[in-house]
Amino acid sequence: MRIAASVISIHSSDTAGVCSALYELGGLTVVHDASGCNSTYATHDEPRWYAHGARTYISALTETDAIMGNDERFIDNVVSAAKDLGDLPFIAICGSPLPMMVGTDFNALGAEIERRSGIPVLALHTNGIKSYLAGVNQALCALAERFCRDGLKKNSRKVNILGATPLDFSVNGEVENIRRILEENGFEVNSCWSMGSSLEELSSAGAAGVNLLISSSAKELAQYFEKRFSIPFVAGVPVGRAFAACCIRALKKAAGDGESSMPCLSERTPAGDAAVIGESLFASSLCCALQMEQNIACHLLNPLEKEFAFMHSNEMNVPDESAVAGAFAKVSRIYGDPLYAPVAAAEKCFIPVPHEAFSGRCFRKKMRSLCGKDLKKEFEIC
Amino acid sequence: MLKLAFYGKGGIGKSTTVSNIALACAEKNLKVVQIGCDPKADSTSLLLRGGKVEPVLEQLRKGGCFSLGEISRTGDGGVICVESGGPAPGVGCAGRGIIAALETLEKKGAFKEWNADIVLYDVLGDVVCGGFSMPMRNGFADWVYILTSGENMAIHAAANIAMAVGNFSSRGYAKLGGFILNKRNVKNELAKVQELAGDFNSSITGSLEWSPLVQEAEELKQCVLTAFPASPEADSYRALADKILAQVRKEG
Repeated sequence: MRIAASVISIHSSDTAGVCSALYELGGLTVVHDASGCNSTYATHDEPRWYAHGARTYISALTETDAIMGNDERFIDNVVSAAKDLGDLPFIAICGSPLPMMVGTDFNALGAEIERRSGIPVLALHTNGIKSYLAGVNQALCALAERFCRDGLKKNSRKVNILGATPLDFSVNGEVENIRRILEENGFEVNSCWSMGSSLEELSSAGAAGVNLLISSSAKELAQYFEKRFSIPFVAGVPVGRAFAACCIRALKKAAGDGESSMPCLSERTPAGDAAVIGESLFASSLCCALQMEQNIACHLLNPLEKEFAFMHSNEMNVPDESAVAGAFAKVSRIYGDPLYAPVAAAEKCFIPVPHEAFSGRCFRKKMRSLCGKDLKKEFEIC
Repeated sequence: MLKLAFYGKGGIGKSTTVSNIALACAEKNLKVVQIGCDPKADSTSLLLRGGKVEPVLEQLRKGGCFSLGEISRTGDGGVICVESGGPAPGVGCAGRGIIAALETLEKKGAFKEWNADIVLYDVLGDVVCGGFSMPMRNGFADWVYILTSGENMAIHAAANIAMAVGNFSSRGYAKLGGFILNKRNVKNELAKVQELAGDFNSSITGSLEWSPLVQEAEELKQCVLTAFPASPEADSYRALADKILAQVRKEG
């Protein structure tokens, strides 16, 4: 049966992507959804929940309100909550399957909430059906459109990190590793979208000379900055040592000539009987690193939306479990989230690389920190 | 680009009227797009001489990888014909279908690509759910015109639609352009529709007399302006188009 998942999980939804992208920025994020429970978005997929306060709310949409199109209660409750919280830099509203089905007009609701509250509103069009990539991309682009300042003086040493959320990088120090690698190589981190940077820092993104794109969840943001501020981007997660050095060379070149590049693709040729499955930019970067440091020829398997993917044309999309099983059958070694392991035959060598957006907190303690590391110490060869 | 949505009770003559207005605009060398918002996907059949165009939702059902050329056909007068389509009768959600179709057109850059002078939305029946208000939303139609006769059911439907337009006034949605009286020769017809228009601080933009010639043209699978271009009925459609264009241009 196609499009069915009997063994594997699904990826975090676009709604979770919005909540994750905006988590640290002090705004009120309201998911228009049934039930009063926000743990789906803000606990299971959110490792920061335990250590940091959050302003992620659920509207508790009722069946009657949905049927009757009672948008007024939602507007009233959001405005009321905003007043209670006070001093909000923004309000973000986003949807789930039910508002999608009844055609809730988030642009109109957002305009009305902004008019009544006087607080900038980001109206985000999530439906809980697309993956987190769609939600993060949308939230970050909306932030950039609303808050980034024009006319800042460019500095070629400054770099923005784009696509940092715990959904891809957990909270195991990986984003800090990327910051350290950049700083050790003469760059200054101008802003990080969106972990460890304030809204004020994000608003100065236009001052950077180059962007480091580390997840396809910020692909549209990188393209937006390229268009609006003429900031080139380099697509690559600095996994391992050799590929991290490649990314640094690409960043310096881009900062000089203004041309974007994708070392995660240009530094490798898909081949061999090993595969990496997962978010495409990370998976592609890991393929590069494995080829460079362990002489393992791999290709990536993309389980997420093709429109955001970084992959070669002869690489496979694996949108469902049967496609995953078919792709696994053709290789002998697989790198991927442990939840994929049961799909692989017992004789396959399966190397766990947990991914928060796929397995949530199940394997959080086993999350790997690979950026700038010696991969030989991180991965044993089967 | 002018964007106009036409609403009214089912069977009131929306598709026939909109198609003739589209041709009247095309005669003025305006580039026109007509988008049918009805699961039956038959809004543009007269412009296509009984032919069909693949509905947007049908292409979405096949996977969504399609070019604009695959969901549009050029009909009489060079009018670009598009149909949203929708689910089979009795299943699915037609309103949600209209939302998905129009969002898809916007996402694919259709409106920029077509670069039309006028976009006409021909919307199914009454505004019974959020989906049917989609063409009124900000970014789609700027003006709503409501077709009605003097029959009570048509007037009730027209009143509901006008009420919906009014309810959305704070949202920056389309404004009510006026009512179009498509006569069925019922008693006190003009007075009844004038009263309806007055209730909504609006007016009758134009009237169309009942004529068997319209049905004759439909038998030929053509618009009146194509089948009988020199007829008084064709001139009535031209006059209606003139009034609408003058009104929306005047009011910006």
